[in-house]
Amino acid sequence: MLKNPVKNATAILGAMLMSTLLGVASSAFAEDVIRVGAPLPLTGPLSPEGEKQKRGYDLWAKTVNAEGGISVGGKSYQVEIEYVDYESNTPRAVQTAERLISENDVDFLFSPFGSGATKAASGVSERYGIPTIAATASSTAVYNQGYRYLFGTFTPNATLTDPLARLVKNSDEEIETVAIYARNDLFPLAIAEEMEKSAKKHGFEVVSFSEYAIGTMDHASALTVMRREEPDWVFATGYINDLILVRKQMSDLGLSPKVLTMIAGPAYQEFIDATGDLSNNVSSAAWWHPAVDYDGEGTFGTTDAYLEAFKEEYGARPDYAEASASAAGVILQLAIQQAGTLDPKAVRDALANMDTTTFYGPIRFGDTGQIVSLEPPVFQIQDREAKVIYPDSVKQTDLQFGGIE
Amino acid sequence: MLYLQVLINGLVLGGLYACIAVGFSLVWGVLNVINILHGSFVILGSYVAYFAYVHLGIHPFYSIILAGAVLFALGYALQLGLINRVVGAPVLTTLVLTFGLDLLLNNAMLVAFSADYRSIQLANPLGRMDLGEVTLPLDRVASMLFALGLTGLLYLLLGRSRIGRAIVAVRMDREAAALMGVRVRRVYAITFGVGAMMAGAAGSLLALIFPISPLNSSEFLGIAFVVCVMGGLGSITGAMIGGLALGVIESFAALFIGPEHGLTIAFTLLILLLMFKPTGIMGRRGYE
Repeated sequence: MLKNPVKNATAILGAMLMSTLLGVASSAFAEDVIRVGAPLPLTGPLSPEGEKQKRGYDLWAKTVNAEGGISVGGKSYQVEIEYVDYESNTPRAVQTAERLISENDVDFLFSPFGSGATKAASGVSERYGIPTIAATASSTAVYNQGYRYLFGTFTPNATLTDPLARLVKNSDEEIETVAIYARNDLFPLAIAEEMEKSAKKHGFEVVSFSEYAIGTMDHASALTVMRREEPDWVFATGYINDLILVRKQMSDLGLSPKVLTMIAGPAYQEFIDATGDLSNNVSSAAWWHPAVDYDGEGTFGTTDAYLEAFKEEYGARPDYAEASASAAGVILQLAIQQAGTLDPKAVRDALANMDTTTFYGPIRFGDTGQIVSLEPPVFQIQDREAKVIYPDSVKQTDLQFGGIE
Repeated sequence: MLYLQVLINGLVLGGLYACIAVGFSLVWGVLNVINILHGSFVILGSYVAYFAYVHLGIHPFYSIILAGAVLFALGYALQLGLINRVVGAPVLTTLVLTFGLDLLLNNAMLVAFSADYRSIQLANPLGRMDLGEVTLPLDRVASMLFALGLTGLLYLLLGRSRIGRAIVAVRMDREAAALMGVRVRRVYAITFGVGAMMAGAAGSLLALIFPISPLNSSEFLGIAFVVCVMGGLGSITGAMIGGLALGVIESFAALFIGPEHGLTIAFTLLILLLMFKPTGIMGRRGYE
């Protein structure tokens, strides 16, 4: 049947090659695409956080594409996010960021998770001059490297503890002593140290500052000692599993301060579900909270619209990490539209000069590239629901004292 | 009074540690299998208790039976179907097998239940009892008593029942037990089943105390490991004493040196113990 197999094979190969080339050509010309690189920890210990960020980016990309894409100089561009898993391994995050820029030719970059990996990877995007938005980096050490292409949506850690200390200080309650209990881990310890500064600044006496190791399964001794100190205010940091256990053991041992603040767990609905009535009157702060209510520009526009879109897509309420990731997308979109071009330098300048409001809140970056316009909400769980108590513009209720059984 | 409170905290914690470790110790002692699955078994027991409480209103103290039965069946089947095939092989082989099975079970739980931390909210908690300056967290104390009770029952089972004697005989000398008519492979399966059952029961009790998530399994496994080595392998009383010792040491170390060093001190003591009495507190030479 096949008289000359070699010739036939050559013909088939030729046809395949042609169709591939045509295919590539047609897809390149069929639509214009803006490509954003996103190195994320999609496997490994940080994968829950990586997945959160991905949900935020995906929702933004899907929504903006459904609206017809981003309009640049009268032409519409679809958004495409290129995810690369860096397996919760920071050196690999840097490599993937470099590969995304140099080999995959992405136009813009979303930073990896957290302050550490963001700081490490920011040198790469700076070298290539690629505008980069960090959705989950709060440490000022990330931004004070003198880089021009890095912008971040989290305010410094002190903006979380300072308003809280002021709020408690300005109340009529007699709150004088604070006991701080921190997980010995990068972020929980940093925020506890900020709290110590904020407390001292506002005239509180810090009666104790103790740390617990990662993986601690019992807090009874530490809490027993704390009970003897009778602090008016207990400030505990850690991740959600630690704080659920701390809260339960406080109740077991009858430690009931007038104010109990926990960061970062109460921002998640999981915390309220797991501790039930014990969650009542626990105060906390986060960079964002679904209870805020902004009316702004760009995709989603209002906070309500964002909440609805998120619920429709994932059947849940977004937390601050998810919202910040979506906000990073909206911010990039607004900067591109403002610049009217995809030129990295022009988009960078648009970001630096941005002064607008989005569903996430007002957006203005300081000289270092870290956002300065946001007032992170302080909230308190009341009747098993997180309610904003600060800032006044989005406040839902007053801080309640006592009731920590 | 402070010391009394810390001692009570340590004993309550230690009783739970003992219950986590006893099944692990039994399997290691009798089968010479280091069961990496143990932590995930505990978590699965916690999920059984959690869903039994949320959907059926069964108190975790009662779901010990349910969780124990489910885990016994799973353990028995795993041993009979898989682990028995390699049980005579060097310890590394069985370690790798149980490690692989743990990856499967733990990830299956992640898919089925997600990594979200859950916790049982009792409708009528026992609360706490204040005796002067000492506070007793009653649900914790009750869990600890149940845990010690279960461990005691297992002790009786091994010492008094026919199957218990068979397990002890196999532990002492497999060949001799086989010559006496003990069906060794069946005894292995029952032992692994009982080990899993104890893990399930412990999980059910722990569901009241610790947040539940598949991510916690390595912590439970680590505790089982330390308690076993401390108390002595394969010995029920060893697991009980090792657990209580670890709990009390951890509590006092946290008090005197600071909460971040509680476990460090416990592990340092463990190393010292291994140097001077490698069989553990209650272990006998030849079983290790």
